[in-house]
Amino acid sequence: MKEITYVQAIAEALAEELERDEKVFCIGEDIQTGTFGATAGLVKKFGPDRIMDTPISETAIAGAAVGSAMTGYRPVADFMFADFMYIAFDEILCKAAKWRFMHEGTQQIPVVFMAAMGGYLGLGAEHSQSPVSYYMHTPGIKVVVPSTPYDAKGLMKSAIRDNNAVVYLYHKALLGSTGEIPEEEYLVPLGQADIKREGKDVTLVATGMQVQFALNIAEQMKDKVSIEIIDPRSLEPLDIDTIVKSVEKTGRAVVVDEDTSRCGAACEISMQIVEKAFDYLDAPVQRVAAKNYPIPPGAMEKFVLPQPQDIIDAVEAVMG
Amino acid sequence: MKLEKDDLILLYRNMVRTRKLDELTIKGLQEGKVLSFYHSGQGSEGLAVGSAACLRKDDYLWGHHRGHGIGYLIGKGLDGKAFLAEHYGKVTGSCLGISGFHFAEPEYGALGAAGTIGSQFPISLGWGLAAKKTGKQQVVLACFGDGGSNRGTLHEAFNLAAVWKLPIVWLCDNNGMAQYTPIKDTYPKDDIADLAGGYNMPGVVVDGMDIMAVYEAVEAAVDRARAGGGPSLIEAKTARYRSHSEGSPDVSHTVTRSEAEIAELKKRDPIETFKIKLLKQGVLTEEMVDQINKEADEEIIETEKFSLDSPPPEPSILNKLIYAE
Repeated sequence: MKEITYVQAIAEALAEELERDEKVFCIGEDIQTGTFGATAGLVKKFGPDRIMDTPISETAIAGAAVGSAMTGYRPVADFMFADFMYIAFDEILCKAAKWRFMHEGTQQIPVVFMAAMGGYLGLGAEHSQSPVSYYMHTPGIKVVVPSTPYDAKGLMKSAIRDNNAVVYLYHKALLGSTGEIPEEEYLVPLGQADIKREGKDVTLVATGMQVQFALNIAEQMKDKVSIEIIDPRSLEPLDIDTIVKSVEKTGRAVVVDEDTSRCGAACEISMQIVEKAFDYLDAPVQRVAAKNYPIPPGAMEKFVLPQPQDIIDAVEAVMG
Repeated sequence: MKLEKDDLILLYRNMVRTRKLDELTIKGLQEGKVLSFYHSGQGSEGLAVGSAACLRKDDYLWGHHRGHGIGYLIGKGLDGKAFLAEHYGKVTGSCLGISGFHFAEPEYGALGAAGTIGSQFPISLGWGLAAKKTGKQQVVLACFGDGGSNRGTLHEAFNLAAVWKLPIVWLCDNNGMAQYTPIKDTYPKDDIADLAGGYNMPGVVVDGMDIMAVYEAVEAAVDRARAGGGPSLIEAKTARYRSHSEGSPDVSHTVTRSEAEIAELKKRDPIETFKIKLLKQGVLTEEMVDQINKEADEEIIETEKFSLDSPPPEPSILNKLIYAE
């Protein structure tokens, strides 16, 4: 095992897959330097034809990736901020997500759309969003959100090897966080949740930055309540079975999501718990997510984004 | 490439086949057999057949949405069976009857077509990037209309295709009408081809009703792209004989286009003018014209029967289509 940062883990995954398969290439704005460091240094080894800097042209980046993926390439399109992906939603949500289905299930579109998401850095409404729900909502596209360096590397490698379009959203506030990963190659499969902490009183479902909040809270509250933390890691495909199994054991569920509350991932997961595990519930499911406002910059953001105290309150509410 | 007598006859034959298939598809829609929409391509047959004749089978093609691109595919060697069956929602269609009028024919390089006008620019860019990376001298023929030229995606893709010198021929079918809105109210100049200068690529205007003019312009651009010279823009001035889509009003803003106006457009008909030219040159005789029409009519009967006799897809296929293993 070795210690590595979250952002280094992403870079390592990209380097390994670029090395392994010559059909893999990266494309995006300023990726040779890399705004967040996830693609930094790759150009030195793989050259500018495989680490392609582009102008500010999100639809062209997405189109270049989707179009070339249709012919057998495995592009990783980097959008820098997750917020910028909205500009290319036609290419992402219509073409990449629908064209396999529309084209008799024979067309493969093995493309990864990566971007940094998330708040807690005070960057304001158009640089802080965690837009997971749009992808989770759209049939035909997968979405992953790593919370640790181990998952960041293993999920990226699986995303690149997947024969479908995968949105890979990594959290800006976790870039420098550290964790252990194996020296040897490994993959983290899509659609397999990870129990980040075992417990018996409450099932707490969280992704990305919220997993880190949850781990701290579980430790802090351990004398009062035993919290089981489930990180789905991919929201589509969603490993609902692991979540349901946990709820059958604990009888209580809190679902945490950094995205806007209304129609968000927490909303969907909570409903699935209600549909599949209602008879096991001893209390109503609690949802913790961003309030239904744009995210203000600076200190004001804490009134919109979910805070650790909100998670504590939700745990106490289900405990009664 | 100099076209021989047989090549010229084939161009004429393919335009006739395209027109008759268009008429059949309109009939199918009126009879309730065609799903969703049909956007007739009558008036653009010369552009479709003439430009596609310049392509190899492995070249990528994003056909124009007029006629749902079938003229381009007929020009590339496909017949109308899978096209009509797809429009009928039958399992023998191009995409199992699941795609409808936004089908693909990957064997003919037509990897997809879209419901969102202007999306051909970024995706064709991707095909062009792949063609350049792969190095097999494939080119992309990416068609759009005067309406599509208004999208911002045009700029992003024109710009990057030129910067990267991609083998793309951008082909504009300018029939002067975007659904109900005339081009004079959507574009400030006479020629869309003038955009090319801003991207340091050649831009030419051709008479899109003259199949030979189309062929020559597209051939030059295809040759240039294949040789690594980068993208070109061709604007073909065509005409739209019918309404935007079958059953919708044929209006410019709110004013119905007059019969006299349409009759004027039809004087430039690409099939009729080419026929007269070939008869004069002695390439065609009246007997040959009759024979070509007769064969095309027989093909239409067979095409319709094939579609009518085919079953619709089973709902159980839906889950197999959504994700690859």
